[in-house]
Amino acid sequence: MAGTYRRINYSLRPAKAVERKMICEAVRRLHPFGKIETYRYVGLGSVYFSDFQLFHRELGMEDMLSIEKDAHASECFEFNKPYKCVTVDYRPASDVLPGLDWQSKTIVWLDYESKLNETVLSDVRSVCTGACSGSMLIVTVNAHPERDPDEATRNEYNSDTGKPFSLDEYRLRELRNRIGDCLPPEIKGRDLRGKGLAIISRKLLESTIAEALSARNGVLRPEKRIASRQILNFRYSDGALMSTNGWVLFEVGEQAKLDACSFNELSFVRIGEEVYSIDVPCLTIKEMRQLNSQLPRRGVDEVTLPGVPKSDIERYAELYRYFPTFAEAIFT
Amino acid sequence: MSVKDKGSRRANASPTKEFFIYMITRDITLTRAIIDLVDNSVDGARSMRPDHNFNGLSVRLEIDKEHFRIVDNCGGIPVEIARNYAFRFGRPKEAPVTPGSVGQFGVGMKRTFFKLGRRFTVSSTASTSRFEMDIDVDRWKEDDRPGGAGEWQFEFANVEEDLSGVKVDETGTRIEITQLYDSVAESFGLESFITRLKNEMSLAHTLSIDSGLAITVNAIPLLHEPATLFVSNTLKPAFIEKIYPSEVLSGKPGTPVRVKLFAGVSERNLHDGGWYIFCNGRLVIRADQSATTIWGASHDMRQYHPDFAYFRGYAYFDSDDASLLPWTTTKTGVDVDSPVYRSVQQEMIELSKPVLTFLSNLDKERAAIESGESKEQPLSSALTSSKAQRTEDLAISQTFDAPNPAPPPPGPRMQRIQYYKPADEVQKAMQILKVKTFTAVGEKTFDYFMQYEGEE
Repeated sequence: MAGTYRRINYSLRPAKAVERKMICEAVRRLHPFGKIETYRYVGLGSVYFSDFQLFHRELGMEDMLSIEKDAHASECFEFNKPYKCVTVDYRPASDVLPGLDWQSKTIVWLDYESKLNETVLSDVRSVCTGACSGSMLIVTVNAHPERDPDEATRNEYNSDTGKPFSLDEYRLRELRNRIGDCLPPEIKGRDLRGKGLAIISRKLLESTIAEALSARNGVLRPEKRIASRQILNFRYSDGALMSTNGWVLFEVGEQAKLDACSFNELSFVRIGEEVYSIDVPCLTIKEMRQLNSQLPRRGVDEVTLPGVPKSDIERYAELYRYFPTFAEAIFT
Repeated sequence: MSVKDKGSRRANASPTKEFFIYMITRDITLTRAIIDLVDNSVDGARSMRPDHNFNGLSVRLEIDKEHFRIVDNCGGIPVEIARNYAFRFGRPKEAPVTPGSVGQFGVGMKRTFFKLGRRFTVSSTASTSRFEMDIDVDRWKEDDRPGGAGEWQFEFANVEEDLSGVKVDETGTRIEITQLYDSVAESFGLESFITRLKNEMSLAHTLSIDSGLAITVNAIPLLHEPATLFVSNTLKPAFIEKIYPSEVLSGKPGTPVRVKLFAGVSERNLHDGGWYIFCNGRLVIRADQSATTIWGASHDMRQYHPDFAYFRGYAYFDSDDASLLPWTTTKTGVDVDSPVYRSVQQEMIELSKPVLTFLSNLDKERAAIESGESKEQPLSSALTSSKAQRTEDLAISQTFDAPNPAPPPPGPRMQRIQYYKPADEVQKAMQILKVKTFTAVGEKTFDYFMQYEGEE
């Protein structure tokens, strides 16, 4: 049994850091469609701009737009912009996305902290309506099942519905309120336990993309029609369970370019319902250095490290190339 | 005009098949066209089981990019009916009626065939007959031979009559439509379309599903939510029943139209609040929030509003003679000009008024509690202590019954003030005043002003 020192340091969000590097690796693969440095990146930067820093440094992107709805803090965002090539638009994504010039190939990462709702689906629709062939859409949503609410919320549920409180039914009602009629009627409250909300969120995103592309394709010649290929299906938890999905949007006539991206060579790529869980072991710098000296290798059976569970070694061997190193440093 | 008609005193006004098909398929959505086919199965079920206990009966739909299939075990179409009525466009006057039928206009089934694809097959087994039909729509349209299919006929591929020993559970109809139109195939391939279809279908046929009819779409059974209203000792929904004789409605003797109206409060949901209208068990209007039912200035009523998210009204129109009901041919609305609907609409408005007053008072009560003006909440308590009950289980009560709102608190009449100030200045005032809430900042600064400037 691992001790408390093996627990994740939530403030550093290590799984998020791994995810970011994996996404960067996947984007790099898009080169058959065009030079990656000419791609545009659209993200929801927040004040850290971690994704912007990574994509500029690693991929050389220079056309970068951060969407930030908190216009009150514009001073703070302008100050924290890491590079001159990053611009910040202080409007909600639902205002910005429809007006974007979609001529250039774009990586859009809708990295929400909220759960899936109608706004998210509408933003996804906007991207699918505009994005050109070779673009990538990445969506991250919170997929943590609702926790048992407090007494006041239970009473409100009771007076709103005329039924005694039930956690399953409460979760279903909350989901209905967030996404309305898109929810297949056979979904029940108990389907939302555990990983259930993550599974349903992915399905709803998939069907929204299919519907938006279908509407767009109706008036296009067959080879010009836009198809989507899921390549990312991450799940991780730096506290709350998060779910990330990524799709490449491409013209049917450019299938060969998609094949040339060879996404299947990346160990974390998932094209269907199967999930890649980003499960980050908590190790010291010294332990990581010791493990690094034994990697890469085919099987991890011979890799040893005193006092570290086998499962942690296995997970580390899978992730080490994307592993974040957090160190205290003094800048002068 | 052809040569042989030379000298004729008649101008040809018969419709071409092409035009006819074009016209009837435009004014209905794809989902509604499919639900129309389920209506036929429901009618079969109703004539098989006049007591409307549909346990054991099923309608199974299979839908994908290549084909559409609907299979039921609801009694089948007798050859006699198929030969003379079922495939005609429009219902002839002499056609035998299914009491309380849903299929009324004699257009639904054919309209759906033409809307979906270029080929359809129908095979049906009834108690004493069986038939099969296999039609290529493009060939049928082009075939204009006099006396042939050009005469608006479909040919049976196979007919068996005067059968005996057909078991009840062997009867039923199977319809398959293939060579789907591109746009139809595209929709059938979308998960979101199937979800929309399932949602609309389970709503439209809530009452039939409630009576035991099993409807499945791609093997997934449709669920339904029965109509409910909140009931407690102090809160009771309104219910009235009216009978409109056929003589009054059509000028001819016949079966009357029976109308049941319920109005009250139910689950709070902005989207689901409003009036629901059923004709012979089929939902034709869902959660109406417009002037079609009771809302807005044209009825001297308020517009639908978030405060009314608790409101539900249910109107059930039933008649053995379906032509007396106020529905439209697509069954997606009511004929607002029909005398029976106009009369019922008045009743709906009167029934709704006390419920809307209750909901407005409920909102005022909540605001008063929130502002600390009042502590009594008889309306909220009535709501909290109530339970959702199915409309058919409701005890008879003529009018909506709810507690009176709390009387205004004693003392002078109060007035609420609201204003905005920069956040850091308010924080500063909070510190100086040694208070913890914004409300207290407002009250203390007002008191301070009045203390120095309020004296005459």
